[in-house]
Amino acid sequence: MTGKPHEPLLALVQKPGRYTGGELGSAQKDPAAVALRYAFCFPDTYEIGMSHLGMKILYGLANAREDCWCERVFAPWIDMEALMRERGVPLWALESGDPVAAFDVIGFTLQYEMSYTNVLNMLDLAGLPLRAADRTGLTPLVIGGGPCACNPEPLAPFFDLFLPGEGEEVSGELLDLLKAHKAAGTDKRSFLRAAAQLPGVYVPALYDVTYQPDGTLAAVTSRDGAPPRVRKRVVADLDGSYFPDNFVVPFLETVHDRAVAELFRGCVRGCRFCQAGFLYRPIREKSAGTVNRQSRALCDATGYEELSLCSLSTSDYADLIPLLEGLLAWADPQRVNVSVPSLRADNVPPALLERLAKERRSGLTFAPEAGTQRLRDVINKNITEEQVLSTVCRAFAGGWTAVKLYFMIGLPTETEDDVRGIAALAQTVVDAFYHHPAKPKGKGVQVSVSTACFVPKPFTPFQWEPMDTKERLAEKQALLRGTVRSRKISLSCHHADISLLEGAFARGDRRLADVLEDAWRAGCRFDGWDDQLRLDLWEAAFAAREIDPCFYTARRRTFDELLPWDHMDYGISKRFLRREAEKAYAAAVTPSCRERCAGCGAERLSLCEAKAGSAGSSSG
Amino acid sequence: MRPVRIWWSKAGRAKYISHLDTVRAMTRAVRRAGIPLWYTEGFHPHPYLTFPLPLPLGQESLREPMDLRIETDLPDGEILTRLAAALPEGLAALEVTAPVLGPGDIAAADYRIYIPFPAPEEAAAWTARAGERLAAGGLTAAKIGKQGHRKVEKEISLSALLSAYRLAAEGSAARLTVRLAAGSEQNCNPALLLEALDAPCGAEICRTGLLDKTGAPWR
Repeated sequence: MTGKPHEPLLALVQKPGRYTGGELGSAQKDPAAVALRYAFCFPDTYEIGMSHLGMKILYGLANAREDCWCERVFAPWIDMEALMRERGVPLWALESGDPVAAFDVIGFTLQYEMSYTNVLNMLDLAGLPLRAADRTGLTPLVIGGGPCACNPEPLAPFFDLFLPGEGEEVSGELLDLLKAHKAAGTDKRSFLRAAAQLPGVYVPALYDVTYQPDGTLAAVTSRDGAPPRVRKRVVADLDGSYFPDNFVVPFLETVHDRAVAELFRGCVRGCRFCQAGFLYRPIREKSAGTVNRQSRALCDATGYEELSLCSLSTSDYADLIPLLEGLLAWADPQRVNVSVPSLRADNVPPALLERLAKERRSGLTFAPEAGTQRLRDVINKNITEEQVLSTVCRAFAGGWTAVKLYFMIGLPTETEDDVRGIAALAQTVVDAFYHHPAKPKGKGVQVSVSTACFVPKPFTPFQWEPMDTKERLAEKQALLRGTVRSRKISLSCHHADISLLEGAFARGDRRLADVLEDAWRAGCRFDGWDDQLRLDLWEAAFAAREIDPCFYTARRRTFDELLPWDHMDYGISKRFLRREAEKAYAAAVTPSCRERCAGCGAERLSLCEAKAGSAGSSSG
Repeated sequence: MRPVRIWWSKAGRAKYISHLDTVRAMTRAVRRAGIPLWYTEGFHPHPYLTFPLPLPLGQESLREPMDLRIETDLPDGEILTRLAAALPEGLAALEVTAPVLGPGDIAAADYRIYIPFPAPEEAAAWTARAGERLAAGGLTAAKIGKQGHRKVEKEISLSALLSAYRLAAEGSAARLTVRLAAGSEQNCNPALLLEALDAPCGAEICRTGLLDKTGAPWR
């Protein structure tokens, strides 16, 4: 990598290790020997991107192909960006140090709406036109995937195509297609038409969008043979699907710097606010044997001293105790710590809690999400106060003195009593500590309450709901602050400004693309970072385009409104979501998928359907 | 339990790995290599693995020591082979020895410094000026030190910490080899010397060896 134009910049920035590459496990190939160069871009810092499991899977998978060299690209931090612009150094990929603009595929993983300006910034730093229509060559092809691909409309003009759903199978099919078209010398237009025929490929340029006078959507019409609805891809069998036996081991300390075992995809719970719980359906578990074998290989290959179990709700994994026994049998002698995040307060096995107590390093975290039973029923978070208390009491007996509780503010139907209920629940936990006969001697308790602002998301029963305004969220946060009495409770509230922007883009349409580009041109980037968000620039960008963000955030949609993501098919039927919304208003709960099938529609996403084609059945 | 000293080198883009990140990378490499580390006893057992003289960020080294304690008597040759296979790009394992001297016996270090210039004339001019200033003595630098918990800026005499040097222009670059005080009592980062000599950005610094109080190689 010597003599690359970015090398002189490395000595001048904070944390040069973000930009050097060369980590253990990173792929080195001969550029002359591969047919495709693939730049996998994570639109946030190295430390965040390197913590992401999906990137590790897709990176390993693409590099398992001999004809493809997949490299990593992260958003340069502010100091590096300034130097790159000052000296005219274009964005490069970490493995080769080569400029990103020369790659065949530039793939962005879209994890979070607040990274959208970073996407534009990275395209610009690469020296590419932002708009897909202005990139006329077949390559580089700019593609996007990840959870935000379920409503990619605000990004539609910038991307050539999106891959809704899981990427393992479709990204290989797409690379094959591109390789063939590149060899045949076809143009981009023919390639995109062909790509749109692959199940799970959404080519936004092949969909025309019209609007009603009131600003809502009138129609989304596909053309040139593109399917009217694009069905997301799912991997049918997790035991048989690819999982890396090696990770790139960073030198820098990243957010999650450890080996990861994926237990299952999907979630049986159906919490109504949780987009992930619906997007990743149907539930598919990996067998304990596979998890054990993959985890051991990964720890051996990386030298990691920590293994983390990953899923949306670890304590729902059917074979959790046998799995842990199997893991600990080799992890203990090898001095590998096994961490078990994402536990529910209602079903942590006592044996697990005892086991965790032995390696305790931090506090125990639970997410009651709402302060009263009524509101927990509305959101279908089927946890009772008694269950929370009995779990924390067991934790106190096990020596824990710090408990973290996560809540949301601004949930549908929320009243002031529900907000006060958050403080009351935290106080109950404090009281439970002092009344507990087996509490740790000579120590106080620390209850950390963390509240996020509720953001309604597509493909959830709350997708039609208005989001609280900034003023309302501020009032509720102030009310909560005023209600907390104990010094044993510490309270932190998430930045409402960031949540409101997130809310606008989560349920936004294509008209937001202009606002996004304007805001980026004005200097917005790293909007998810409290210290970087420039709300003034965002407000000016919305005003200049005469778009009111409240149209997207604070407006209640009717059940029959055409939504910007209705032409995406995630298996979940609109009928089911509406049924769940109506049950929410009645504070009626829906049991977990294990107890009774709620009829969400995700069962249609079986392997045979993915093979049969993406012309989705109309289930709305 | 057996103490071993592993000698290693750092080159290329690995020079951008900070000291703490190098410690972590080495610990993981030793684990991958299957070298049976000895762990401290107590409530939070941790492996015994220390670096007698941290290498600053951005500098290469031809030969650095790392001390560790292992549980079994794995032969030195086997430790070296296994570790060499487990290290990431830019870090190399050179030799395994028994520790002879302690970290406190490190007194000086040799550095090889390459300073590029846009043109030979500029290299020659800088070399002449820097040569005069080195010969005259009295070079100083501001260094952030600690007084209790407070951070204080103090002036240190670079000339007193510098025991030998050779400086020459060579095409459009200057080459400086220098011996500077190193270790726990007095330590001088060569970057401070370059700054005092008004060297341009982009100098390549490589530590070539450590010495004891007698000027012999630290072992």
